[in-house]
Amino acid sequence: MLKRISEHSIYYASLIAILSLSFLLAYSSSDRSFQIGVIIVTTFFYVLWGIMHHLINHDLHMKIVVEYILIGVFGLTIIFFLLSVSGNY
Amino acid sequence: MKKMKDFLSHLFIPKESNNHRAKVLHHTNLFLTIVFLLLASFFIQRIKVSFPSVLGIKADISSEELLFLTNKERQNVGVNSLIFNEKLSEAASKKAQDMFDYNYWAHNSPTGKTPWVFIKSSGYKYVYAGENLARGFTTPDDVIKAWMASPDHRANMLSSNYQDVGFAVKLGKLNGEETVIVVEEFGNLNMPMARSKVAEVATATDTNALPENVQAVHKQPLINTSSLSSNIYYLFIIVLITALMLDMIIVEKKKVMRFVGHNIDHILYLLLVLILISIWGKGVII
Repeated sequence: MLKRISEHSIYYASLIAILSLSFLLAYSSSDRSFQIGVIIVTTFFYVLWGIMHHLINHDLHMKIVVEYILIGVFGLTIIFFLLSVSGNY
Repeated sequence: MKKMKDFLSHLFIPKESNNHRAKVLHHTNLFLTIVFLLLASFFIQRIKVSFPSVLGIKADISSEELLFLTNKERQNVGVNSLIFNEKLSEAASKKAQDMFDYNYWAHNSPTGKTPWVFIKSSGYKYVYAGENLARGFTTPDDVIKAWMASPDHRANMLSSNYQDVGFAVKLGKLNGEETVIVVEEFGNLNMPMARSKVAEVATATDTNALPENVQAVHKQPLINTSSLSSNIYYLFIIVLITALMLDMIIVEKKKVMRFVGHNIDHILYLLLVLILISIWGKGVII
């Protein structure tokens, strides 16, 4: 596992950088519309990054695309409905 | 017992019976989980509207506690304590009611009314004034912590330009959702003068005296919507992260070849979601 991480260190470092930047942007702003925009863009990049990585490795399959999209939709569903139910949107 | 064990291992452990991928991570199950969350949220919303005493927001905030905590933060940095002002509280109350009446959540109203309009109309002729807003919080501690974590709100909280403060804590509906709004109005009738830090701290006890017109919201439904929904979402994310980690470790050991996404990607993304909901679930400030 560690070997694979080191082989793809640039990919994982860039993903961590995107997610960290997203967290910092969302955390530093108190504008809820901006925060929601940040998480939507981050989810889009997470899906795109994953697909691109598999494409570069020549192991991209439709199942993988669907998997990234489902996890992204799962994350967004949780955020939107937590904000909606708690009235904190 | 064995059946249960087999079922759980089928759900979480990659093996032949689940095509070497934890069953909870199969597309069908991920899709069904999303559908379940959508339905759960829909029903929670419906029950909240129909039976507010059973399922609703829990809140226990009073202006007395907000004053105490605000002054505590100011004392910590050696700034003068604020004096509770009835006129500023009246302005805060008018501002909160205006947000509910005109259904907006901002410092300026859609009709262009600034916070200063409310402060002036209450008869407080300020030289300096400021406003902090919060909504959706359930305790005064969380409100103050959120304001202190935001540079602009923190600057207002700790500004030595202010001498007086007023609060409003109101329960109402914004965009059809029941919520608690907290308005904190700061002001100073005079030009601020340089004072020694020792003198400021010495006045703290007097200014923490209980205001006569205490505003508070104490609401305790049978089930708190915020914590119920948070717990459901935490549970789902943690189960998914656990399944992804187990799947990753076991498949790595068995050296099974599969066409699936990278579990590390999913774990990192879900951790971000987990952190954000733990912060955003508490409330929002502007």
